[in-house]
Amino acid sequence: MLDALGMLGAGFAHVLQGGAAFHALWATLVGIVIGALPGLTATMGVALLTTLTFSMDHSVALLVLVCVYVGAIYGGSRSAILLNIPGTPASAASTLDGYPLARQGLAGRAMGISTSGSWLGTLFGTLCLALFAPVIGEYALEFQSYEMFWVAMFGIVIAGSLSGGDPLKGYIAGFLGLFVATIGQEANHAYPRFAFGSTDLAGGLGLLPVLVGVFGVAEVLSAMRGPAVRAVSSKIDSVIPRLRDVLQYWRTILRSGAIGTFIGAMPGLGEDIAAWTSYAAAKRASREAERFGKGSIEGLMAAETGESACVPGAIIPVLTLAVPGSAPAAVLMAAMMIHGLNPGPMLAITTPEFIYQIVAMLIVADMVKLFYGLILVRPLLWVLLIPRERLMPVVFVLCCVGAFAITSRLFDVWVMLGAGLVGFVLRELRFPMAPLVLGIVLGDLLDKNLLRGLVLSGGDVTPFFTRPISAVLAGLVALMLLMSVPGVNARLARGARGLFGALRRRPA
Amino acid sequence: MSGSDPAAPEVHSPFAGERAPVSPRADLLAAAVLLAFGLAVLALSLRMPTFAEQSGTGLTAPGIVPGFHGTVIALLALVLGLRAVRRGALRGGAPGPARAPRRQDALRLSAAAALGTLYAGFLVGRLPFWLATALFVFAFTAGFEWPRGPAGRGRRLAEAAALGLGTGWAVQLVFEDLFLVRLP
Repeated sequence: MLDALGMLGAGFAHVLQGGAAFHALWATLVGIVIGALPGLTATMGVALLTTLTFSMDHSVALLVLVCVYVGAIYGGSRSAILLNIPGTPASAASTLDGYPLARQGLAGRAMGISTSGSWLGTLFGTLCLALFAPVIGEYALEFQSYEMFWVAMFGIVIAGSLSGGDPLKGYIAGFLGLFVATIGQEANHAYPRFAFGSTDLAGGLGLLPVLVGVFGVAEVLSAMRGPAVRAVSSKIDSVIPRLRDVLQYWRTILRSGAIGTFIGAMPGLGEDIAAWTSYAAAKRASREAERFGKGSIEGLMAAETGESACVPGAIIPVLTLAVPGSAPAAVLMAAMMIHGLNPGPMLAITTPEFIYQIVAMLIVADMVKLFYGLILVRPLLWVLLIPRERLMPVVFVLCCVGAFAITSRLFDVWVMLGAGLVGFVLRELRFPMAPLVLGIVLGDLLDKNLLRGLVLSGGDVTPFFTRPISAVLAGLVALMLLMSVPGVNARLARGARGLFGALRRRPA
Repeated sequence: MSGSDPAAPEVHSPFAGERAPVSPRADLLAAAVLLAFGLAVLALSLRMPTFAEQSGTGLTAPGIVPGFHGTVIALLALVLGLRAVRRGALRGGAPGPARAPRRQDALRLSAAAALGTLYAGFLVGRLPFWLATALFVFAFTAGFEWPRGPAGRGRRLAEAAALGLGTGWAVQLVFEDLFLVRLP
């Protein structure tokens, strides 16, 4: 315990050296603005800002990206409350009660609730990260190739099952992502797969150009299609969070924080699912459930706490297993790799202090977010209303810069363009993007560990199913797949109810 | 505070309609493309060398993993196609629940994609970056604001030009001079 506190103190000292406070201030502001602007998501923000951090020291670079991530998830609630448009998909649940509150003349109070819920949510999630990441990290050291294969597979299956509403399309998106990761030279024989004689393709498709394409270019195209809608004009009352709101709903805050963190820690699910699940759980448990959807303070608090707690939660598997918990966390993980850090099980051995540095970064970002939440209302209202015709070309330019900057190849700009067009078409056909991103990120992990496992076992596949942790993970993957088959889910639920009912009826 | 204030500014929701279902026919078409894609990946994977002599077992063959992915994509595409048929993709005349894409939307989308491709694919790398950026931002903004009518068009064009030049200059300054990032 004392060791942990010592490392946390050292983490703060490390993070706050030099001009870190300045970087935290501008990066969180950029994050909030990106999150607030409809059409710009946290994933896109972290991907674009990664470009800016190339020449920075790695701890400053990660502080910037963590601040952007935390700020963007929070910023989405501004437009959700004031415009009834979620700034990021994560804030969709906040529109349900945030906008009705704004229409009742309580926009300021709604933003105060959003600020306090989001601040407490991130703080709760960060505490969980500090407590559980080292433990999970040590446990993950026992994972070998067989287990890591299943971890990657579990990530794809759970993201496919839950992230888009149609598991079949989720799985297809996940495997398309896994395929993209196989393009280029493989590790064992340096054979260029799917290169067709091109030296550019033999180098593989860069993660960042693909992500910038899928989240940046595709979003620009989505934003430019369709008509504009009318926004509210707003008189803003006081945005200072009320202590009474926090004290009255402390159970909701704790529950949503726990749900958000847990969902964040599940590979590939992300903030939108965390917000919806927290909202649904709060509605089920609430004494004023009838107010939900009509301007419920508890509903808004639950959604905001859940989505913000998900941010640190999504970083837990990045640090312990090298598996991202959400799409922005996937980009953050890619940025860590670009800066020479190797997230994953070995982190607990090689640089255990890094986990506490991330904790310190999250707390700094959370505090800066609180500061902006209290002062940054009126200017943000103007930023929200920038016409898309003027904003989107600038975003597109930043996408091109982001794609080019990492290796200075024009080929990467073409990759970004291609990924953007394909991503847009897939999106139009309702294929979810989170499993696709997770597939691209986890492709290498799955590829190496499947082949390494097969080599170690001499071609025998049984260790993939018989080793205890592998067996549990394989069982979970099978269960998730079964549950996505129509009808099976209901039968499983009926069976579980029957089993528990029988157990309850059994005499002691 | 009012939600239907006619004087309120317009904002676009990029997430609107995200949950609207897609028509079975579109699903069937997607399934056909994905099936062909999965089978092509599988075929190309099978044609890759196995390196059995070097590894002794052939278990490190480069085609194993992509072959597995191609097979799964093909199988899932098959299920998607069958589901689409069961939902009425082959029934003639059934429009399905999909949103009929409006002509205006298609035009805006095509224009955005064409301008983006022109900029990223042809202008970047051939012209100085600031100039390519200024031209693109000006063309994009002016083009999409053109249908607003002749009233105030001159001012809007001037603003678009200023935005283009400002973006080119600011990106050059922030990325290349301040953060030492190379530009195309």
